[in-house]
Amino acid sequence: MNAELHAQLQTQIKNLDSISTAPAILKPLLDMLRQPSEDIKVEKVVELVSCDGAIAAQCLRLANSPLFGRRETETVRSAIMALGLERVRSMLLGLCMNRVIPEDKWVIEPDAFWRHSLGCALITQRMAQKIGYPEPEKAYLAGLLHDLGFLVNSVIYNEEFRECFRRASEQHAPLHVVEEQVLGFSHCETGRLLCEHWGLSKEMRDSAGCHHDVSLLPDAGPLACLVHLSDLLCRMRYLGYGYEEIMGVDLGGDVAWQTLISAYPALKNMDLVRFTLDIEGAMDQIVATVDSVFGAKRVAAPATT
Amino acid sequence: MAIEIARAKPAASTDSNADDPAFLKIRDLIYGTSGIYHSAEKLYLLISRCARRMLALGAASPAEYLEHLTPRGNRTAELRLLLNEITIGETYMFRHPAQLDALRNVILPQILQLKNFVGLKRLRFWCAGCSTGEEPHTLAMFLLEEKEKMLAGWTWDILATDLNDNSLQTARDGIYGEYALRNTSAIMRRKYFKDVGDKKLQVNDLLKAQVRFDRLNLSDDSKMVFQKGLDVIFCCNVLIYFDLASKRRVVQHFHSNLLPGGYLFLGHAESLFQVDDSFRLVHFPGTTAYWKPTAAQAGEGKK
Repeated sequence: MNAELHAQLQTQIKNLDSISTAPAILKPLLDMLRQPSEDIKVEKVVELVSCDGAIAAQCLRLANSPLFGRRETETVRSAIMALGLERVRSMLLGLCMNRVIPEDKWVIEPDAFWRHSLGCALITQRMAQKIGYPEPEKAYLAGLLHDLGFLVNSVIYNEEFRECFRRASEQHAPLHVVEEQVLGFSHCETGRLLCEHWGLSKEMRDSAGCHHDVSLLPDAGPLACLVHLSDLLCRMRYLGYGYEEIMGVDLGGDVAWQTLISAYPALKNMDLVRFTLDIEGAMDQIVATVDSVFGAKRVAAPATT
Repeated sequence: MAIEIARAKPAASTDSNADDPAFLKIRDLIYGTSGIYHSAEKLYLLISRCARRMLALGAASPAEYLEHLTPRGNRTAELRLLLNEITIGETYMFRHPAQLDALRNVILPQILQLKNFVGLKRLRFWCAGCSTGEEPHTLAMFLLEEKEKMLAGWTWDILATDLNDNSLQTARDGIYGEYALRNTSAIMRRKYFKDVGDKKLQVNDLLKAQVRFDRLNLSDDSKMVFQKGLDVIFCCNVLIYFDLASKRRVVQHFHSNLLPGGYLFLGHAESLFQVDDSFRLVHFPGTTAYWKPTAAQAGEGKK
């Protein structure tokens, strides 16, 4: 990507704030996403959630869903406690982004997009735990955010990106490859710029920017490698972008795998078939979570808490 | 995984003791001996299979049943009976559409390209441990469907072997009931079967001619070395009955039986982890396979 295009994208991403009606809680939420989760005060989250009636209602809905044992949760606080801070954080981000992107701009189906993002978050975290990566929560976040560039492209290059999606699904090809052909850049670049604009850490920017090709980075961090592998695993287990991709993936022969193994030898002891079966087992839960969070937008939200 | 020894519970009902740590022990035992893994979400399946064996043995609790699976009990025999329960119903036609998709979309195009290059337009498939023949017949139908498309101008043969003479006879007769045909579409039924009454269908001559059935013991090294030039081997839920040493030997045979660029399919939950590392594990949408890359492919790392 040349410098001119880079500058242009940068401006367009800055302008995103003004063209869309971002929910008031987006800014404070981003501040919260930057903090390690042990520093986050429950009160702060309660306050944040409570200032948006629709979001508060969705928190309650999810906490009361069968997924979480159908507790009789009536306050925002107990709903957040039932869901767990980590889940609330990612849910808030999803709900915010769903409002940032006008309904007619979505190219990838919102359900498919969030299933992929949440699935990737969960797998990145599980893999991080398996190999002894010290901050599995950070891994979760990196997985959750890695594809936000798709949403940027949906807004600023809607028609062109729609064409990318059409071609990719017709050819059963990876979307980022077609993006490169049609747009001259992919969601990786715009995702990285969005992370930059939001002031997220270098690791987050790198994992968004290089999750399709970790060799782009001279010093590919473990996070980018983990996200790369999780993204592939998701797409091979029906948690892709909503169309079938035709490919076979040799994860063990992948650069990211090799890079990770040198820093985390525990990876050698991971039975990948077994890990994949665990993921298949967790898939229903991912789908159910996404359905209960985002399916809610089709239902009129109760007035307030 | 460290699990405390379960206390015997009086209730024989398995519903009430789904959390029993003895089941986790059985799960680990099955994984360790057969390579079949039950994830937390699939544990209920294992529990229901154990329940049948517990009923047959009159075992009152999972812990008591676990005793039967220890060297003190009749381990080898009981393990075999439990594995039979676990794999029961595994064979019906078109059981693994994801495997066929991987063949159609990735594996065959790759192999055809390799073989086209050397001008050899012939393919060899082997179903090792074909049981009553559902798998090779499915493969045969799949290939016939591609005859005018991807496989135009190509020939192939399908070898299907098993140790059990009764299974082989059933496979050769090719008479199947509703269970075996539950995933077979009306079109396929019309094209490749004939009605033999009693709600049963028999493979027609066209399909019958596709598969060669043979008796073969996978542990018979002298026979195994003669299987040569294979492109794809299917060996689903067979190796689970083998001990580690024999499993290794069979897998090594498979590796040399396959041509470079060939693939080995195992059962859905089977893993070769710590059994063999000469194959490369490849993930496809909804399935996995073991790959023997050519020297050039191995260098590329990713496909």
